[in-house]
Amino acid sequence: MACRVGVDIGGTFADFCVLDEASGALSTLKVLTTPDRPGAEVIAGLEGIQQRFGVAPADIAWFTHGTTVGVNAIIQRKGIRLALLVTENFRDVLEVARLKVPDPYHLYSRRPDPLVPRARVLEVRGRLLADGSEAEPLDPASVEAALARAEALGAEGIVLALIHAWRNPAHEHAAKAIIAAKRPDLPVYCSADIWPIIREYERTVTATVHGHVQPRVAYYLGSLQDALKRAGVAAEAMVTKSNGGVMRAELGKTRCVEMLLSGTAAGAIGAAFVARQAGIDRAMSLDIGGTSADVAIIADGAPGYGTGERVGDFPVYIPTVAVSSIGEGGGSIAAVDAIGRLTVGPESAGSTPGPACYGRGGTRATITDAMCVLGWIGHGELGYGAVSVRRDLAEQAVDAIAAALGRTRHQAAEAIVQVAVSGMYKEVSKLAARQGVDARDFCLLPFGGAGPMLGAFLARELGMRDVLIPTTPGVLSALGGLIAEIRNDFLDTVYAELDAASLPALVDRFARLESQARHWLAEEQRFTGEARLLPSADMRYRGQSFEIEVPLRPEWLAQGDLAAMADAFHAEHERLYGHADRDAPIQAISLRMVIAGAVPAPRFPEQDRVSGDPIPAGTVTVFLDGAPHTAPLYRRDALRHGHRIAGPCIVAQEDTTSCIPPGLAGEVDRFGNLRLGVQAPQGMEA
Amino acid sequence: MHGTTAPATIDPVTLQILGNHAQAAAESMAFTLFRTAHSTFVKETEDFTTGLTTPDGQTFASPRELGATWFVGLDYGPVIRAIASYNEGDVCMTNDPYSGFVCTHSPDIHLWKPVFWKGELVCFAVGHIHNTDMGGAVPASLSRALTEVHQEGIRFPPCKLVDRGMLDQGLLDVMLTNVRAPTQNWGDLKAQLAAMTTGERKVHEMIRRFGIETFRAGIRGLLDLGERQARLVIAGIPDGDYPFTDYLDEDSPDGLPCRLHLTLRIRGDAAELDFTGSDPQLAASLNMPTGGNPRHILLMVGWNYVLYTLDPTVLLNGGLIRPATCIVPEGTVLNPVFPAAVGMRSMTCMRLQGVVMGAFRRALPDRLPAGPASGGPMTNVNTTDNRTGRRIMAAIDPITGGAGGSPLGDGADGSGANSGFLKNTPVEISEAEVPVRILRYGLEPDSGGAGLHRGGLATVLEFRVHAPGTVVTARNRDRSHFRAMGIAGGRAGATSQFWRNPGTARAQNLGNTDVVTLDPGDVIRIVCSGAAGWGPPWERPIEAVLADLDAGKITREAAERDYGVIPGDDAATVARRAAMAAEPRPPADAGPERAAHEAIWTEANYAALTEALARLPVHWRHFAKRRVFASVAADADRRGDGTEVRRAIAALQDEFPQIA
Repeated sequence: MACRVGVDIGGTFADFCVLDEASGALSTLKVLTTPDRPGAEVIAGLEGIQQRFGVAPADIAWFTHGTTVGVNAIIQRKGIRLALLVTENFRDVLEVARLKVPDPYHLYSRRPDPLVPRARVLEVRGRLLADGSEAEPLDPASVEAALARAEALGAEGIVLALIHAWRNPAHEHAAKAIIAAKRPDLPVYCSADIWPIIREYERTVTATVHGHVQPRVAYYLGSLQDALKRAGVAAEAMVTKSNGGVMRAELGKTRCVEMLLSGTAAGAIGAAFVARQAGIDRAMSLDIGGTSADVAIIADGAPGYGTGERVGDFPVYIPTVAVSSIGEGGGSIAAVDAIGRLTVGPESAGSTPGPACYGRGGTRATITDAMCVLGWIGHGELGYGAVSVRRDLAEQAVDAIAAALGRTRHQAAEAIVQVAVSGMYKEVSKLAARQGVDARDFCLLPFGGAGPMLGAFLARELGMRDVLIPTTPGVLSALGGLIAEIRNDFLDTVYAELDAASLPALVDRFARLESQARHWLAEEQRFTGEARLLPSADMRYRGQSFEIEVPLRPEWLAQGDLAAMADAFHAEHERLYGHADRDAPIQAISLRMVIAGAVPAPRFPEQDRVSGDPIPAGTVTVFLDGAPHTAPLYRRDALRHGHRIAGPCIVAQEDTTSCIPPGLAGEVDRFGNLRLGVQAPQGMEA
Repeated sequence: MHGTTAPATIDPVTLQILGNHAQAAAESMAFTLFRTAHSTFVKETEDFTTGLTTPDGQTFASPRELGATWFVGLDYGPVIRAIASYNEGDVCMTNDPYSGFVCTHSPDIHLWKPVFWKGELVCFAVGHIHNTDMGGAVPASLSRALTEVHQEGIRFPPCKLVDRGMLDQGLLDVMLTNVRAPTQNWGDLKAQLAAMTTGERKVHEMIRRFGIETFRAGIRGLLDLGERQARLVIAGIPDGDYPFTDYLDEDSPDGLPCRLHLTLRIRGDAAELDFTGSDPQLAASLNMPTGGNPRHILLMVGWNYVLYTLDPTVLLNGGLIRPATCIVPEGTVLNPVFPAAVGMRSMTCMRLQGVVMGAFRRALPDRLPAGPASGGPMTNVNTTDNRTGRRIMAAIDPITGGAGGSPLGDGADGSGANSGFLKNTPVEISEAEVPVRILRYGLEPDSGGAGLHRGGLATVLEFRVHAPGTVVTARNRDRSHFRAMGIAGGRAGATSQFWRNPGTARAQNLGNTDVVTLDPGDVIRIVCSGAAGWGPPWERPIEAVLADLDAGKITREAAERDYGVIPGDDAATVARRAAMAAEPRPPADAGPERAAHEAIWTEANYAALTEALARLPVHWRHFAKRRVFASVAADADRRGDGTEVRRAIAALQDEFPQIA
């Protein structure tokens, strides 16, 4: 039988998702990660799926993988030692960045130290202008001198980021050739090749992040390819990307910066797929793991995209599925400060030691411990037997908070949950205001280890429309990778007026982007199926300091329909900002082309509708408003299409527990998702 | 206005949750405003605020992520009380600095909207935007040279812009007729109105969630909590009197030093900030309009920074400033009387933040940094594109300096301390948009004050212009004379620079000039002042000095001169450092310029001047100050004990019997 396998590696677990292509059946597995031996968990998982599901390596027809090797190398700054070559007199492009400090109220706040310290930022002579013309030729002697200095400083790789390389990469390429002639072994990265955006800091930091991790990621992917081959997996490994797509692992070795945020992106892709299948037009995915909670807004079946998403201390300007951190994870620690205020996070027990109730040495109360004390979790095993829950340890930890607050154990536990949820409420409100949307129009789609534990509480606080808990919330990122398209982005920064005079050049450059994109898909990805082309342009009114991405239709380009492009910009500006100026001149800063080769969409099996009530596996006591309530406990696999459930109740499954407070009620849909409506917001005044 | 009685207290957990909801409301307002604002100025500088106040005007929620950092805890009470009655759907407006001293210069348009619940007024949604122009004598309405508020644009006293949902089109037309970029002003005003609506909606959500009584108790509880936190911080500071002085280079174009003086008195969990001894009101627009309000927000900016730094968990709301009482004598630069010009009060405010930080540092020398560079000029270019003939006006960059060295380590380079909120413009964007060529942008070596912990470096910008009649404005030019003060043996930061054609035969030092007209081919060089160092520089570890040298943050000359480090020569280094340690030096170093100034203008002389000027009519004071300075400069028998000042005053009174 032919199967697709998706693997996503997180902090504690490596998640596996196996799709049987013939039946559409989905199986899942988690194994503990092996941070010191990256790749070993993949092999362990493959053995696991063979044992549990009878899927042999030879049965795997499609294999996708999301790795955290790159992102960890950035967070820990453990990549290679880089030298950065910049244009003379602009040595501080990384150090000064965009000036603003992270917390301007704090007198000691400072920008994070750059990945390349100033001593290894070296200047070369030569200057291009904004129109791409050369004001001063590149001085080869200055490049050679900088190389010699870089070598003396022990540089293991070189990033070239010269002023106006977005317009004309000639100086970067010439300098690269000079270096390659002397040191063919030294990796050299040109900012214009990594991602040719205008704005020197943004382009340089992106290239630097890429250079820092590239050798390590390439090595990891090479080892993984070998290990898969040895294990007998014939399918070529694909890797997930920050843009929500996948590419061949072989190509990933040279495009590492495109993979850094692939884990969160794949989660949003998985959520979007589930939302689409369930017929939900507006959803917010909520991924809660051990240390953080992340939200993506999904409209019309697709998540939004952004640039400048943070990886560790650094923003990266590669197109990325827009995922916003909204606060704490299940392992976030509760504390009482000097004036008796309860705080939750940002400190986290993470995966080691983890919440106190995991019994792995944690002693401080976390959100998970509070939920345990309240009776919501601890009725089954979590993570495929990897973790069992000890309520006595949770109680001990929460009692310390209760004593400091002068409250009972259950009051303290409820307070921890409420404070954490109100913190998330604040962040989602901000996100909604920034995007100009109203959270009340959305369906919340919680996933991740702790998403279903807290999601319904957050949906209630926000007054959201409803909640959809997917069948496999614990492994949605792995599922996202499994179904993702082969996808790539192409960019040409043109900085042109959107007018009749520039039109021929714009059309011509779009045509070049299209041929690059088709070449990539056919030649580099060896993809033979149908391709989707999505052209867009980053436009603005002249005088504005920021651009908005406006989707364009291929026929506008083919017909040179300037008015249609301008209209699209005005409409998008109006949609985002509430106003447009139809008489103002427009500039097109960058042209973009996305190419996507679709992987056949899986059809999950649909269940027949059953009648009658589901049979609980038991009843448990949960605490709400300080009083005990009896709540049914369901096993997830016993819930079938048409079964109705209402809060308070608990749904336990192997990879997570769904906690449904009062005020939510609904039924299981035909794919097995729990779809629960949210009643009017809870409050003392209706 | 308080209406029905509310529970006296609210439990701390509910308060914490309500606080998150209030914060969500203020942040949502800010994001709505930022997203829908029209002008590039708002997007680039984030010079705006949003917030929620109690019915009597105390701000209980303000955004953290977006907006200006200066207005935390702004008291809207005076303008709220200026309107006789409120109805649902009203939005009120003012931009007059002399109507209640809530607005502090004419470009700031403040709005406040009453929020009702079941017919009762429960709070206000508030906020402001700095408009690029409000009309008046000069574009952007701001210039140091202006002398009366009437020159600073059209002013609206507190009035209803929207009355029961109906926009007052007549009022709006008056504004739009009088300003230079009416479309932008109207566009930004609409964004402000949208933010008010968002605030109202979020408040209604809160009341539905918590109930009206809990809401009422909660917003007071948040202010009380902020106050409690602030009092705890103040109580942790040793009781005592902590004076601090700093100067603006000039009190008017080509003027005299402008003195800002504070005596901080810590008593238990309260503090008195006595600004007596600060200079008289100026015939220039550097005056800070406070109305003598004992907790005026412009006096409290440094306070807020310090308290937040000492305890980052404090709530940024109006409770934070309650333990403070300011004394600001009328007719001084910190409490001018109508119709003094006030447009450039930001420059004075920024220096005053350093004064407040300096006084707190004397109380807590182990916890606060040496003198910051503070903000520098915002650089604007108005030039002509030679290819198209089009006139182009654009902001290039704020020129900023770093944070002071501190007991904890080196100061942040480039920007930090109280200038950390500013953003720059990419070189590639400036060159693509403005026909100028940027020759250099980055950190200026040696600009940070030497110290065991070095002061942060300043940024430098150099550019060439290509068209005749190019006008460069550099608002907020200062510190080309007086420097940031080094502490505990640390050295002062470098002065700022403003040059035309540096290093050529045509080189011209522009000093504190803020507008210059250039010829094609001219080069401008602007360097911000540097931040000061902390601790003796000769004790800085040699490897840290060498690392700075390797990184190009200091030069070889500075390594030897300031740190006593001669690379590769250990013996010479030891000898040089020993010699430096043996030299007698004052613990605080604000540079030779200030030492020279204070050799003449001693504490006693300033005390005599302050006392004498306080007795003069306000409109005589700046004039009298200039005359006294001239007399003292010419006095052959200076003793520094106040006698030469009293002599000069007597001479002045002889000359002008009307003030005798």
